[in-house]
Parts: sequence; C-alpha cells; structure tokens
Amino acid sequence: MADNTVEQKGGRKVSKKALAKSFHNWYYGNLTCFSQEHMQTFGYLVSMLPIVEDLYDDKDDQQKALTTYSAFFNTEPQIGSMIVGVTVGLEEARANGEAIDDDTINGIRAGLMGPLAGIGDSLIVGTLIPILLGIGMGLSEGGSPLGAIFYIVVWNLLAYFGMRFAYYRGYKLGGDAVEALVGPDATALREAIVLVGTMVIGAVAATWVSISTALTLPGGGTLQGTFDGIYPKLLPLIFTVFCWWLMSKKKVSPIVTMLILLAIAFVGACVGFFGAATIATAA
Amino acid sequence: MEINVFQAVLLGLFACLASMPGLGGTSIGNYTLGRPLVAGLVVGIILGDVTLGIIVGMAIQVVYIALVTPGGTVSADVRAACYIGIPLAMIAIKGNPALAADPSGADAAALATTLGATCGTLGAILFYGTATVNLAWQAMGWKWLEKGDTHKLYLVDMVLPWISHILCSFIPTFVIVYFGGDMVTTLLNSLPMDGIPMKTLFAVGSLLPCVGIAILLKQVITKATDFLPFFFGFTLAAVMGCNLIACSAIACFFALIKFELSKIESKLEKVGTTGAITASVDDDEEEEDI
Repeated sequence: MADNTVEQKGGRKVSKKALAKSFHNWYYGNLTCFSQEHMQTFGYLVSMLPIVEDLYDDKDDQQKALTTYSAFFNTEPQIGSMIVGVTVGLEEARANGEAIDDDTINGIRAGLMGPLAGIGDSLIVGTLIPILLGIGMGLSEGGSPLGAIFYIVVWNLLAYFGMRFAYYRGYKLGGDAVEALVGPDATALREAIVLVGTMVIGAVAATWVSISTALTLPGGGTLQGTFDGIYPKLLPLIFTVFCWWLMSKKKVSPIVTMLILLAIAFVGACVGFFGAATIATAA
Repeated sequence: MEINVFQAVLLGLFACLASMPGLGGTSIGNYTLGRPLVAGLVVGIILGDVTLGIIVGMAIQVVYIALVTPGGTVSADVRAACYIGIPLAMIAIKGNPALAADPSGADAAALATTLGATCGTLGAILFYGTATVNLAWQAMGWKWLEKGDTHKLYLVDMVLPWISHILCSFIPTFVIVYFGGDMVTTLLNSLPMDGIPMKTLFAVGSLLPCVGIAILLKQVITKATDFLPFFFGFTLAAVMGCNLIACSAIACFFALIKFELSKIESKLEKVGTTGAITASVDDDEEEEDI
C-alpha cells in the first residue's frame, strides 16, 4: 500500500484514493461492530487505516498513528463523518511534522462528538427522516410501493452525498467546518428546519393515528360524534400529549408508557369505551 | 399464508442487514432497511403480497417514526419490529377471516401495530445480544492492533460481526417466522373478535402510535409554545384536510419566515454593538420614512 503515497515537495498529502477509501469505510462500517463499550471506535479505526497507510511508510509509524484512534468514539454517524474528515486533516499535518500529539487529536474528537451527535440526532433522525417517512407514507397510502421507493431513493441520495460533503468539508476546513455548523446562521437554519419537522409530525399524527371510541350516549348519539364536533381527531391529540407528558414530565420510559397504554386499552375495552372499530361500525 | 424455508432465510438475512448495529451499514441498513415502511416493501416482495406488506409496514412505521438511540440505549429493536413483526402480522391478517376481508381497515392496522411493537420491544434483547457478542471480536481487534496486524481490523469491523448476527438476528428471525406464524394465527383465531382480549388488542394498537409521536415531541418541545407548530400541523391535516406534501410545503414557508426573522435579529444585535453602523442604518431608515 505504501506505493500509494504521494510525495510532494512541501510534505505529504493524503492521496485522493486513500481519502475515498477512508470515507467509504466510514460510510459503511461506522457501526457494524457496535458494542456498548466501544460504539463506533472500530468504525473509526478502519476509516483511519487507509489514511495512516498512505501517510506513513513505516509499519510501526502506521500502528502508532492508528493507536491514537482507539479511544472511545460515538456520535451521530451521518453528520459525524465531518469529525473523521477533521482528524484526517490533523493526521496529515502531524505526518508533516507539525506538533500535534495524541491528546490534541483525541481532545478535538471528544469535544466534537457530543455537539455533533446532538445536532445530528435532532436534525437527521428527529427531523429529516420523519419528514421523508411522512411524505413516503402519504405516497404509499392504500398499499402502493411508491412511498417506500421514494424514501429509499431520496434518503440514500441525501445520506450518501451529505456524508461525503461533510467528510471532505471537515478535511479541507478542519475546525472551521464545524464552526459553520454551530454558528448563529446555522443555528437559525436548524431551528427553522426543526419547525418544519414539528409541523409535519403534527400532520403525521393527525393522518395516521386513529383512535375512536365506541361509546354511545344516552339519547342516541355517539361520544365520538361529540368529540368530532369539538375538534376532529381530538382523541389522538389528547393521547399524544398524554404520552409526551408521561415521558417528558414524569420521566417514564417508552416501554412503561406502552404498558400504561395497554392498561388503558384493557380498562377501556372492559367499560366499552373502545370497541373493535370495523365491527362497531358494521353492527 | 405459509412461509417456506427460502422465504424465512431471506427474512433472516434482511434482519442481519437492517438492525441498529447492522451489517447493511447505518444509512442503508438501519435507516433504510430498518424503517418499517421500507421493510413492508421488502417483506411484501419476499412473501408475495406487496400491498399488504406496505399496509402493515406503514401501521408499524408510525410507532417508530423517530427511533433515536441516544448513547446506544434502545427501547425497541428495528430488526425484530420489521422482519419478525411484519411477517407475523401479515400471516395473522391473512389467516383471520374477518381481518383478511378488510386488510386496509383500522382493525388490521391495529393488530399489525400491536404485533410489531411487541416484537420490537421484546427484540431489544437481540440488540444487547449482538452488542455483547461483538465484544469478543473487539477484544481480538485490540490484540491485533497491538501486534501491528492492522489489516485484521477490517475483519473485526466488517466480517466477524456476521457471526454475532447469525446468532442474534438470523436464527431468531428464521425460527420465529418459520414456526411462529401458525401459532399466532391459531391464538388469534381462538379469540372471539368482540371479546375483551381482542378489543384490548385493537385498542392498544390504535394507541401505540402516540408513543412514537411523543418520543419525537420530547426532543423538539422544551417550552409550552413549542407545541404550537405541532398543533398547527395537526390542524392542517385533521381539520383542513391537507395531505403530508401540502403540510410540508406550508411548513417550509413558515420556516422561511422564521429563518429570515432570526437573521434580522442577529443582524440587529451586531448593529447594536457597533455604533458607526447604527448611525448609518438609522440615517437610511429616516430617509426612507420621509
């Protein structure tokens, strides 16, 4: 592999081939060997491997450089590709004799992984994916594969090219690349995107959560009819806010929340609040 | 509906690819194949009924619309919800005369949701199982790294985890979908449709998606006014009948306004600190007023 190394007058530069290999190792392997102890550490090691092989001819130097990256690492892997890019830049500088030690690199890695995980979790997993899934479900209504295909294509294009962009930005700009993610303009943009996500989630809840009561009121009408008169889809809204209140204000775990709902469903079925929807309407 | 060995093998394979530390990678595995909507299509193709697959997948998808795994803790496992839950729900719906008559109805969706969420919750054990077995490969990895056998790291990260997945993804999925279908069908069909157990099952199925939505809300809502965009989107769909694409378009418009406002705000802050610019801006504005 050492013949890949591009020797330049001013020093060593990571070859394009090694960069591409490093990026793809991260793109695919960031979490493939996950454990609670070392979450993305091995993903990080394999993505730094082509880089150190490219920068150092000596086997011992390669191993020494690689060992830097054996510290614990975990972040949101899509946006986190920027961190890998940043450390590639640092490793390159170190190979050229700049005074960068293990502690510097690991300090930067540890300092970045938390904030970027926060941004990635809220922006990608909490906003982008739900929006795409919401649109996909709209297109798949009635069982059409169109929505699933839409999601597969759009998400994967965004994920691949987005990660690629983040990786190379990190490599080229170093710490400045991250600055662009946490600066005031980026924060404003992020808040705006989260606003879209929150609104779309409201629409997803209204469209796909359907809770209705089978209770009939004395005098002929149904309780559901009364609810519809107040606000359509009132029950889904109430139960969603109730679950949010349980998890966010009472710190109840999702699993316990589900069990509470099971208890509510059982009691509701016993007292006739809940009935089997289609059977209730057919009767 | 019968699942043959070949179909069960395929489902097991997809379970290996799709799980959270999955072998399809994060983007393609977890975030694509591990989303119930996509899994509905995949399972539908494998079992030969794409329409039902998508319907079941969508029902389960709402519960897992925002499956965030902060710090590697999970409350649900996607491989179990997708590649055990969806096939079982499809078999159960096909095997029940009342449900098979209306597979796109609310009852079928509720049954799918309950089965999917149950599998997803119990499946968390598969997640922790995989992660624990991976510790063995990582221990080998440290030894190889120490010896300078750096290329073996590929083995640790990309090849050896297949063993973890054969143990914790492939075998459980294969066994449950191959042998469990009949059991689920028999159990469900032995319960009267209008009895309390079935009514509870349908009711909990209709309630569970609220948890998925609420998990998402928990992340974005920090103060009471943060609820307003949620209510706004809810009202657009529930009262005004907007579909998801229309809602997204309206949401983007409001986001644009918010973004522009924040930009003006930060500009004003900057202007406030530098007196010279303040003066010139004031001048401009006065001229315009006149």
